[in-house]
Amino acid sequence: MSTSVWLIPAFPLAGALLNMVFGRFTGHRAHWIAVPAVGASFVTACTVFARVARGETFTGPLFSWIVAGDFEAPATVHVDALSAVMLLAVTGVGFLIHLYSAGYMHGDPGFARYFAYLNLFLFSMTMLVLAGNFLVLYVFWEAVGLCSYLLIGFWYTRKSASDAGKKAFIVNRVGDFGFGLGVMWLWTALGTLEYREVFASVGNLAPPTATAIALLLFMGACGKSAQLPLHTWLPDAMEGPTPVSALIHAATMVTAGVYMVARSHALFERSGTALEVVAWVGVATAVFAATVGLIQPDIKRVLAYSTVSQLGYMFAAVGLGAYAAGIFHLVTHAFFKALLFLGAGSVIHGMQGEQDLRKMGGLAPRMMTTTITMTIGGIGLAGVPWITAGFFSKEEILSAALGGRRYVILALLLLGAALTTFYTFRLLFLAFFTDPRMSREVARHVHESPAVMTVPLVALAVLTLVTGWVVGIPSDKGTTVFARFLAPVFPVHEGHHGGALLLVLSFLVVGIGIAAAVSLYKLGPVRADAVSQPRTPLHALLLNAWYFDKLYDRVIVRPLYALSVFSAQAIDLGVIDGIVNGLGRAVVAWAGAFRHLQTGYIVNYALTMLAGAVVIVGFLLAR
Amino acid sequence: MTPIPAPPVLLSALTPVLVILAAGALVLLLDLVPPRDTKQHLGGLALGGFVASLLASVWFWDADLRAFRDMIALDNFALFFNLVIGYAGALVVLLSMDYVRRTGAETGEYYALVLFAGSGMMLLGSATDLIVVFLSLELMSLSLYVLAGLFKTRLDSGEASMKYFLLGAFASSFLLYGIALVYGATGSTNFDKVAAALAGKAPDGLVVVGLGLMLVGFGFKLSSVPFHMWAPDVYQGAPTTVTAFIATGSKAAAFAAVIRLLFSALRSMQPDWTVLLWGVAALTMTVGNVVAIAQSNLKRMLAYSSVAHVGYMLVGLVAGGASGAGAVLFYLLAYTFTTAGTFGVISLCGRTSGDESVDVRDYAGLARRHPLLAFVLSLFLLSLIGIPPLAGFVGKFYLFGAAVRGGYLWLVVIGVLNSAIAAYYYLRVIVYMYMREPEEAIPAGLVPSFAGGLALAISIVGIVLLGVMPAPFANLAVAAVAPLLK
Amino acid sequence: MSPIAFALVAAIAIASAIGLLVKKNPIHGALFLVVNLGCVAVFYLGLGAEFLAVAQVIVYAGAIMVLFVFAIMVLIPGKEETGPDPRVRWRVAALPFGALLFAQLIMILGARRGAPTAAPAAPVPGGVEAIGRLLFTDYLLPFELTSVLLLAAMVGVLLLARRRA
Repeated sequence: MSTSVWLIPAFPLAGALLNMVFGRFTGHRAHWIAVPAVGASFVTACTVFARVARGETFTGPLFSWIVAGDFEAPATVHVDALSAVMLLAVTGVGFLIHLYSAGYMHGDPGFARYFAYLNLFLFSMTMLVLAGNFLVLYVFWEAVGLCSYLLIGFWYTRKSASDAGKKAFIVNRVGDFGFGLGVMWLWTALGTLEYREVFASVGNLAPPTATAIALLLFMGACGKSAQLPLHTWLPDAMEGPTPVSALIHAATMVTAGVYMVARSHALFERSGTALEVVAWVGVATAVFAATVGLIQPDIKRVLAYSTVSQLGYMFAAVGLGAYAAGIFHLVTHAFFKALLFLGAGSVIHGMQGEQDLRKMGGLAPRMMTTTITMTIGGIGLAGVPWITAGFFSKEEILSAALGGRRYVILALLLLGAALTTFYTFRLLFLAFFTDPRMSREVARHVHESPAVMTVPLVALAVLTLVTGWVVGIPSDKGTTVFARFLAPVFPVHEGHHGGALLLVLSFLVVGIGIAAAVSLYKLGPVRADAVSQPRTPLHALLLNAWYFDKLYDRVIVRPLYALSVFSAQAIDLGVIDGIVNGLGRAVVAWAGAFRHLQTGYIVNYALTMLAGAVVIVGFLLAR
Repeated sequence: MTPIPAPPVLLSALTPVLVILAAGALVLLLDLVPPRDTKQHLGGLALGGFVASLLASVWFWDADLRAFRDMIALDNFALFFNLVIGYAGALVVLLSMDYVRRTGAETGEYYALVLFAGSGMMLLGSATDLIVVFLSLELMSLSLYVLAGLFKTRLDSGEASMKYFLLGAFASSFLLYGIALVYGATGSTNFDKVAAALAGKAPDGLVVVGLGLMLVGFGFKLSSVPFHMWAPDVYQGAPTTVTAFIATGSKAAAFAAVIRLLFSALRSMQPDWTVLLWGVAALTMTVGNVVAIAQSNLKRMLAYSSVAHVGYMLVGLVAGGASGAGAVLFYLLAYTFTTAGTFGVISLCGRTSGDESVDVRDYAGLARRHPLLAFVLSLFLLSLIGIPPLAGFVGKFYLFGAAVRGGYLWLVVIGVLNSAIAAYYYLRVIVYMYMREPEEAIPAGLVPSFAGGLALAISIVGIVLLGVMPAPFANLAVAAVAPLLK
Repeated sequence: MSPIAFALVAAIAIASAIGLLVKKNPIHGALFLVVNLGCVAVFYLGLGAEFLAVAQVIVYAGAIMVLFVFAIMVLIPGKEETGPDPRVRWRVAALPFGALLFAQLIMILGARRGAPTAAPAAPVPGGVEAIGRLLFTDYLLPFELTSVLLLAAMVGVLLLARRRA
């Protein structure tokens, strides 16, 4: 088993290196390396999955990486049911998106670079999932962030793209700050970072310590998975190419936070409080992001906020202790959200780069495959009963809330579901089923995408349709096939399942959402200038995503920059110094330089040193 | 008149230093004979000196020699620093063979002074007597003062030299005063004898003040806050290769002296200096990083960044013990490769006229013009941020890990927060290189010579190797501090 | 050295140092420095370090000061530096800090009064022979190191002074 496990990350890494080093030669044929590499990785993941299904697990070291005194952190990998499921989802969806990219990015001057980054990301992501201890997890946690940064800023000629990349990186650093501290604290407290040893010995942690560590780790998850209050980078990340949004910012990387919390559930359970925080942050984000999604004019931003919201559902699930439900939703979400993004990409592709919903409409007859598959994806996102996997996974989460008698959480999640249904159908109506609102010039060129792009759409649509029926139907005891598969990792909660009451509620919220969308966008003609207009303060609030960006700019970014400039001027008089010298530079030669040197400023420096000496000596004496 | 008895002389304990000094003398002699139009062979000789010294240091590994009445020691600690300084010197010489020649300032004296400075640095790692510490420090500093003013036609170079010299002399006076007080209180300048005199007693007031004043002197060389203000001016004005040497070699040497002094001679005062360094470390990290944000001149930015990195390393001293001091040594090695490489790229981006591209805007679109150079600089900057799996990450991991285990959690919080802030200004350079259009025509002369390319390649291999396989080097660092903790 | 003599010489030393600081005419400043260095030589003599005292006079008060005066006369043709001091407030601000450092040192010395001092280094005769003996035995390394230091300084001066850029 060990050899085949290594092949999973090795294939994309090899692909990345080949396209990086020989990019000049591979050029527009780069996908001939990149796509098969991921395909091979997927096939290997399947074989590994099959062996895990037979009950095998595997833990093994690669090499002794960081040694510091008595501390040793070998680069361990760990394969169990959870990582097998994640690997399958990551490589499977990854493969389809690589395939799609071959069509979508066709003719881009950075074709080879794009596939090199994408392969590198897949390598990092599979390593993140395979990691057998927190240190390796941390390393690849950073690595996927770096790839995400590279890919968001891929079209660097757009200033907004490079800014978005930078923002994503820096907001993630804030989260990683907590994550890094959490990992270090864990090491101090337990003396090990290996998953198995850590989870076996969490009982030795005092609950307050466990809470602190868990919350620090969760801070990292908030950054990576775009949860409140660190969610602001994800909508901006839509500046990247659409397949990137589908792969990294919907299906895989952003779910790393959910994976990490689920993986460390023993630690979070030891704390209890931390689990509660996770649940509430998830619920708050789910509702908050759904409200913002209601009104966005940009098709990709709607999907971005919906991703933030759905990630909130996953966190709510793991926070409620329904880990299997959270991971199940993670997987189904990977399918239907990747589908929606790729569909959106197909629409953008067909409309020559237009992303504004106000200028779309009436695309259904021209882009049949895209319309049908995207509608399936939308039904999955909205969780319309029975049709798709999205329903089954969301039902699991809601039933966990119901089963735990968490009625407030349940109500909020249902509210979120109603909002989700509304904005999903709004998007579908505005794009496909209303009268065309684009210019005649654009309208003439609207066309369906090539097969290399539609095949992945169909594949994902099929996955969205069947997954729920195959593994998502609860048995008499209230457990699903999926949950039973994960039983070695997460204890199965048998017992009452939501049943009829939940079904009625689901019908109700979906019905309300669809009805609202129909009444607003389907009954009468839609005027382009009427959509997404901030008519009321509430509209403006939602359109600006509750002003989080502005708040951060005012409270953090500007003061910090002002502080820096102030310190530079107060502490570093060299700034002024430099200006003065700049004037003199042209005329003064070396021989005469001594008299014109700013010796006065040396006085300042020396005075500071003297003051420092006084403080230091005084401090030592005072002790 | 009684004959003077010949003192025991164990020259082998000085081998790495003597090799470099010999190379320096040879450079001066060969400077007088043809060929006169090129000095590249002298650069080669200087390089040979550093390489030979490196080899000698490897040869002597695990030696434990003491010589000249215990004034110097050639133990693993000294040898480790010989390695760091040897690498720094070799990289600087390689880069100089490209940069200094291109700027038309190449002379035999330049290489000789680099060698003299290097010998002073190595002696600082070996010194076990305050007098030798002072003399080596002056040997190093004097050479660097002159080197900083190498570009005689450029005002900022002369200004850098002058400021560095005046403030350095000011700082040296503090150091000397501190040495005098310690001598007065303990009756010796020898580390072991000082330690013996202090052992088991309440700290003497004179020694306390002496410690404070010596830390002022060393603080200047380390550029720790509030003794850092010379750094931006000097880094900016000095020739870039000299800046690289100041940032790597002189910093490592000053750390060597401080660590040996604090951990052996002033061991009994650990509670005092730990608390003091706690504050200095926190202040140094924060000021360095916050002020760096506002800089648009790359060399000034890197000056503040180096201040910040000194702050991180002081965290290791606060943590103490084999793991803390070992982490500092490892970090110095990692930092040497990273910083030498960063300044190396900057030195290569200079225009032929000697006017340098040091504004961040000069790097706009570099990735388009010179993808390889941009990629290499990005790697160095990412290592400075501390992104795994590069050397900077592992170094920070060791430092903060040691501090966490020492119980200095708040200091680590400050440190980690600071390294998050730091990402901003390093990343800005990468953004400019990859994501901005160049504002003016492409400056010529961007193709590194063989020497320059070799230096960058060595640095890259260094940071990747230290990042991917840090364990053997970390063990080396821990072994190096073992003699101090006996 | 009698306390009265010490106090007298010390007062002259301090006064000349202050004179050096406040005099704007560099030649006057240099002359004050000569006086100051001479006072220090007297201290050495009082401590029994005859060789140091002589060396101080010959090297500092003699050779180096001559060099200073030469340099001043060559480089600064005018008699006085003109114009108001642009940084006078900073210079004045150094006073309280200097005073504070001084107070700290006094405090320490006051606190140590009566405390047993560490065994002072065995008093050695300060004659030429004793110094020479020390330099070639115990302090051989510092002695040799100083020669390297001077070599580096010389090379540096050559590099900076040479006209050809």
